[in-house]
Amino acid sequence: MKIAYYPGCSLHSTGIEYDMSTRQVCSALGIELAEIKDWLCCGSSPAHQCDEVMSVALPAKNLALAKQTTDSNEVCAPCASCYSRLKIAQQKMQDPKTKKDIEQVIDTTCPDDIKVFHMLDLITEKVDDNLIRQKVSKPLKDIKVACYYGCLMTRPPKATGKDNFENPSDMDRLIEIIGAEPVDWNLKTFCCGAAFALTQTDVVLDLTRQILQDALASDADVISVGCPLCHANLDMRQQQINKKFNTDFNIPIFYFTELMGLSFGVDPKLLGINKHITNVNDFLEERALL
Amino acid sequence: MKVESKNIIIDPGLAEEIKKRSGENVFLCYQCKKCAAGCPNRKFMDASPTELMRKVQLGMTDDAMKDNTIWYCLSCQTCTARCPQDIDIAHVVDTLRIIVQEKGVKADTKNSRLFNMIWMKMLRFTGRIYEVALTGMLNTFTGKPFKDMDLGIKMIKSGKLKLFPSIKRTSEMMKMFKRAKKLKK
Ligand code: SF4
Ligand code: SF4
Repeated sequence: MKIAYYPGCSLHSTGIEYDMSTRQVCSALGIELAEIKDWLCCGSSPAHQCDEVMSVALPAKNLALAKQTTDSNEVCAPCASCYSRLKIAQQKMQDPKTKKDIEQVIDTTCPDDIKVFHMLDLITEKVDDNLIRQKVSKPLKDIKVACYYGCLMTRPPKATGKDNFENPSDMDRLIEIIGAEPVDWNLKTFCCGAAFALTQTDVVLDLTRQILQDALASDADVISVGCPLCHANLDMRQQQINKKFNTDFNIPIFYFTELMGLSFGVDPKLLGINKHITNVNDFLEERALL
Repeated sequence: MKVESKNIIIDPGLAEEIKKRSGENVFLCYQCKKCAAGCPNRKFMDASPTELMRKVQLGMTDDAMKDNTIWYCLSCQTCTARCPQDIDIAHVVDTLRIIVQEKGVKADTKNSRLFNMIWMKMLRFTGRIYEVALTGMLNTFTGKPFKDMDLGIKMIKSGKLKLFPSIKRTSEMMKMFKRAKKLKK
C-alpha cells in the first residue's frame, strides 16, 4: 500500500521519535510512505487564530502537492494538529466559493478526491488486525496503558467524521492487539493545551497535571499518544509540574507507534525511544523490553 | 452576567461581522451553557464561552474583544463538538481573535498576537517552522530569554532540535501570502 506522507514540522524536530517509529511500523506492515516533496507547514494554530485564508490555503497547497509529487489519492499525517488542519480545510472547501478563492491563492487546483488519514486511523482502518497480530513477537504483557487521544484526532466531528468523539476506542483496541492492557480513564479526550506550550506555559502545566493525575489514578503504567504536541507537553513538562505542584510524576509517555514497534521487536533505538525527556529506560528494563 | 455598572458600547454590527467572516450565526445560541460546562480552560476566563456568545448577541463589542476569554481559548473544539445548536464556537472565537488582531484593538492577548506574528513571518520566508528560532524570538521579545532553557539543552542533547532550519518554496510562499492579502481586501 502506497500513501502520501505528510510528517509536518514537529516530526522533524521535537517529535522526531514519532517519525522514526512511524516509519519502522509502516515498513513492517507493508505500508510505503511517500513523503510529499518539499511540503510546507500546515499553519497550525497561529494560522487559524490570525489568518482565515492562509489557514485553509496552507493545507490546500499541501494536498495539491501530495497529488502532484506522490501520485497518491491518500494522505496520512501523524500529527493530530496537521491532520485536523487538513480535514478542516477540506470541510471548508466544500463551499464552492471558498474553494475557488483558495485555489486562486495557491495558484493550482486542489483535488477533491483526496482522503486524509491520521496515522492511527490508517493503521486501524486499512490494516488487517491479523497482520498486526502476526508481527507481534514481544507482546507487551501486563503493561497498563492510558490511551490519550486529546482534542484533534477526533474533534470537531464534522471535519473528522468521527461519531465516537466523546469516547474514542481505536487506540485502545490496537493496544490490546499488541498485548497490553488499556485502562478506563476519564481524560482521554481532554486538552493538553498544545497551542499554548510556548506562550502560556502555566495553563499547559495545569492541564497536563490533570491528565497525568487521572492516568495514575486509573492505574496506568504508561500513557500512549498520537500527537507530537501532546507528547511534548506530557513528556517534557513533568519535572516543571513536579516543582510547581509538589508532585512526583515520572510516567513514561509513548507514541502508540513506539509501543507497536516495541511489540514487533524493533530495536528501541530505531524507534527513537532514547530521545524522551522523561526517562523510560528503567521502565523498559524492568519489563524486559530493552 | 452583571452589566449595569459597566460602560457598554453597543455595536450591533459585531454579530453581523462574525457572520460575514465565518458564516457562524451567534443568534442561534439559546444559552444552554453546555459549552461553558465542558470548557477545560473556563477557570481562567473572565467570561465563559456561553457568556461570550451572549455578549456578541447583545453587541457588547468592547467586552467581547477585551475579556481574556478569547485568549484563553485552547481551540480544543469541545464546545464546537457539543453545541446542540451546531454553532462552531471555536470558530467564532477565532474570528474574534482575527478581528482584534486585524484592527489592532488594544487588548491583553497573552502574547498570542506576538507569537502568531512571528510564526506567520517565519512561514512566509522559510515555508516551515524552525522551533529553535521561534522559541528564541518569542522569549527575547517577551523579555524572558532563559525560559525553558533547561528543556532546550536536554532536547539538543537528545537530537530533538535541529541546528539549521530547512527552507522550502520561499517564492511560492511569498506569492501565496500576497494573493491571500489581496483576497481579503
Ligand atoms: S452550547 Fe451552543 S447553544 Fe448552548 S450556550 Fe453554548 S453556544 Fe449557546
Ligand atoms: S474551544 Fe475554547 S471555548 Fe471551546 S471548550 Fe475549548 S477552550 Fe473552551
